[in-house]
Amino acid sequence: MKPQAASPYVNPYIAGLALGVLLFVAFFLTGHGLGASGGLQRIEAAAIKVVAPDHVDRTSQYAAVAGGTRNPLDHWLVWSVIGVALGGFVSGWRAGRAKVEIQKGPHISRPARLVFAFLGGSLVGFAARMARGCTSGQALSGGSVLSVGSWIFMMCVFAGAYALAFPLQRLWR
Amino acid sequence: MAPFDLSGLSTVQAGLLYLAIGFSFGFILERAGFGSARKLAAQFFLHDMTVIKVMFTGIMTAALLVAWAGALGWLDLDAIWVNPTYVWPAVVGGLLLGMGFLIGGY
Repeated sequence: MKPQAASPYVNPYIAGLALGVLLFVAFFLTGHGLGASGGLQRIEAAAIKVVAPDHVDRTSQYAAVAGGTRNPLDHWLVWSVIGVALGGFVSGWRAGRAKVEIQKGPHISRPARLVFAFLGGSLVGFAARMARGCTSGQALSGGSVLSVGSWIFMMCVFAGAYALAFPLQRLWR
Repeated sequence: MAPFDLSGLSTVQAGLLYLAIGFSFGFILERAGFGSARKLAAQFFLHDMTVIKVMFTGIMTAALLVAWAGALGWLDLDAIWVNPTYVWPAVVGGLLLGMGFLIGGY
């Protein structure tokens, strides 16, 4: 059987419009926008609590969500982030894009790509806690209610990524 | 008036609401191409401006809808969460997150 060609992505302005309407619905129904990194942090805190509960109680960022008798998973962000993973998968699957692959530039080996993915992911995780949010909770949600800090954050994200694009272009091209 | 007090919902009801919101979020992002690390990274080589088009269309749409709903009295703007501003964490965290974004492909 010939594999079916993946459907093209939707027009970015249409996708943006849908995203904006969803973001508004989130604010309208719940009073806050969307989030991702906070949910991941809570799942991480729950995992650490299983193996090292003392560390959770001693570390302020984990203690705040999981210290003592607090259940880090009892929070809307956790449901939301599980929904994101499901929604992304269903979309990719229905569009014929769901497959196991390692996306990378043509001049980098697969092991190197995985090492860089780990390094970049660690940096993103650290930075998202420092900035109190990621591109979802800060840039999109804070940006649309005109939080000054969120706009500063957003501009700095682009500045940081553009600053590294030329020196690290071998990663992607 | 919105936003609604959700404290009357059971854990499962509230969970399903957030699951549905999250599902839609993930679905839209994947449809836009944000499931592809290469497509996300391409933004920073100016090959493909999808990230900026989607993000800013989304922010503008949501900002206008929130403002209009507030002006019409449908949404209590004092009751919605606005991220507090911490300048240096936003600057340093933003720069580091952007660098991590490029290194890891988000």
